Amino acid sequence: MSNSTQSNDKPESQQPQQQKPPVLEEDDEFEDFPVEDWPQEETEQASGSANGTSAHLWEESWDDDDAAEDFSKQLKEELKKVEASS
Amino acid sequence: MTSVFEDFEQGQRIGSGPRLAAALTPVAPAEYPERLQSFYRSSNAARLSPDLRYSLFQANGLKLPKQEQNAWIDIFSLYWTAIGEITRFSDAPSSASWVKVFNAWKDLVNMIIRGYTNFGLQAWTLPCLYVVGKYLRIFAMKADTELASQDSGFGDSFQDDITSEFEKSAKLEEAARIINRMFTLCLSDRAPIEESRKWGVYNTTNLLFKTYFKLNSVGLSKNLLRALNASSADLPDLEAFPKSDIVTFKYYIGVIHFLDENYAEAEQHLAYAWNMCHRNARKNRELILTYLIPCHLVTTHTLPSKTLLAPFPRLEHLYRPLSNCIMKGDLNGFDNAMSAGEEEFVKRRIYLPLERGRDIALRNLFRKVFIAGGFDEPKDGQPPVRRTRVPIAEFAAALRIGTHADDRSRVDIDEVECLLSNLIYKGLMKGYIARERGMVVLSKNNTAFPGTGV
Repeated sequence: MSNSTQSNDKPESQQPQQQKPPVLEEDDEFEDFPVEDWPQEETEQASGSANGTSAHLWEESWDDDDAAEDFSKQLKEELKKVEASS
Repeated sequence: MTSVFEDFEQGQRIGSGPRLAAALTPVAPAEYPERLQSFYRSSNAARLSPDLRYSLFQANGLKLPKQEQNAWIDIFSLYWTAIGEITRFSDAPSSASWVKVFNAWKDLVNMIIRGYTNFGLQAWTLPCLYVVGKYLRIFAMKADTELASQDSGFGDSFQDDITSEFEKSAKLEEAARIINRMFTLCLSDRAPIEESRKWGVYNTTNLLFKTYFKLNSVGLSKNLLRALNASSADLPDLEAFPKSDIVTFKYYIGVIHFLDENYAEAEQHLAYAWNMCHRNARKNRELILTYLIPCHLVTTHTLPSKTLLAPFPRLEHLYRPLSNCIMKGDLNGFDNAMSAGEEEFVKRRIYLPLERGRDIALRNLFRKVFIAGGFDEPKDGQPPVRRTRVPIAEFAAALRIGTHADDRSRVDIDEVECLLSNLIYKGLMKGYIARERGMVVLSKNNTAFPGTGV
């Protein structure tokens, strides 16, 4: 029985962390494994290391291949606007 | 097509806990759908005890110590009663009720707990405890749903929200208390470790974690962890337990730290769970990654690769747009991706750490400014050095790119300085702001943006 103010539009909630965290859905539950135990070869780790290391699973967060030329050009354009407005 | 009694006999003869637990499973196997009915019809309330004594022991010549034998007869009597309530759902639906199933099942669970404390049930039979605990929780949730649907039928909808909030999971709360006793039953066993119920500690802990999460009382899990830590010296190493126990345990510990915003610790536990998880357990792997990815973003500033997410379209959908925007330093795109995914992020409780990705996106944007700045004139034969004195106006211009600012929006230099000093404070950028000269002086020797090679 929600008594939320439905007359308002859905607010642009800027701090969703202040909302009460919702109960996890049924389908979010960690499942029972069909077997009790398994050998190391059947673990995720073993299947990951089969093709080398597991390093390829995570990437650096920046991208140096991005067209640096374009960015420089764009930066110069915007710089003019900054200088004009300040 | 094995009957309840055959499972019991075989379990006892070969000393197999799982086989014994199969006898107490309240779900018929696919190849024998009538199993529960046939067990229920094998006796009636008036003759139950002698019938069970005959079928469990006399008919097959199985011998156990007397008090243990009697305990099993009591256990199967209560099981019979509970099965009677369960089979109503197919045989007499109008009188079937999950509340009745739960209550009957609860009596069974209590009897089994007593079997261990008072009647000498041995530790190898612990899978029986696991299976009745597992279904206690399931029946409690069904009973709560049933009660809620009855309430809404004739209850007044203006009743106090707080009361209904409490009553909503009354049966599950009750189940939690009983499962907690199961946990204590295992943890406090003083028998030598080979025959100790301590081997049941993680299984019952996990069941309790699941219950507390469902009840939205994650805080109660910490009492459990304290109890476990206090006895850690008496417990076998985690590695000695079956992987199903430890992967589940590590997942929940990881999520508990995650919700406390201890991302470094959360990452350790989740990475362990990920590495040890069975590679075919797709759903569980997806759940582990759901929390492991935000941890990586916060602690090591790394993003999931295409290879990692390929088997998980839901995660790809959840994380790819954000990851792309972080890489490109696209702040506007990042904000849009955050609001597009907000509902899902809040639901999964991953909004907070993901929000921190904005700093990484900003770092990447400012890093591009630094790289676009090129190199200072090399001094007599020295290798070229990047220009480390960068006008604040250039960062302001980059910010206009990153936020897709239109021509009318003005640039607030104070705000740019604020963002810069924030990044410097967080260690994502190294240097200082020389305000009077309108410059940022960045650290030399490839340390201006620590960890990123420049």
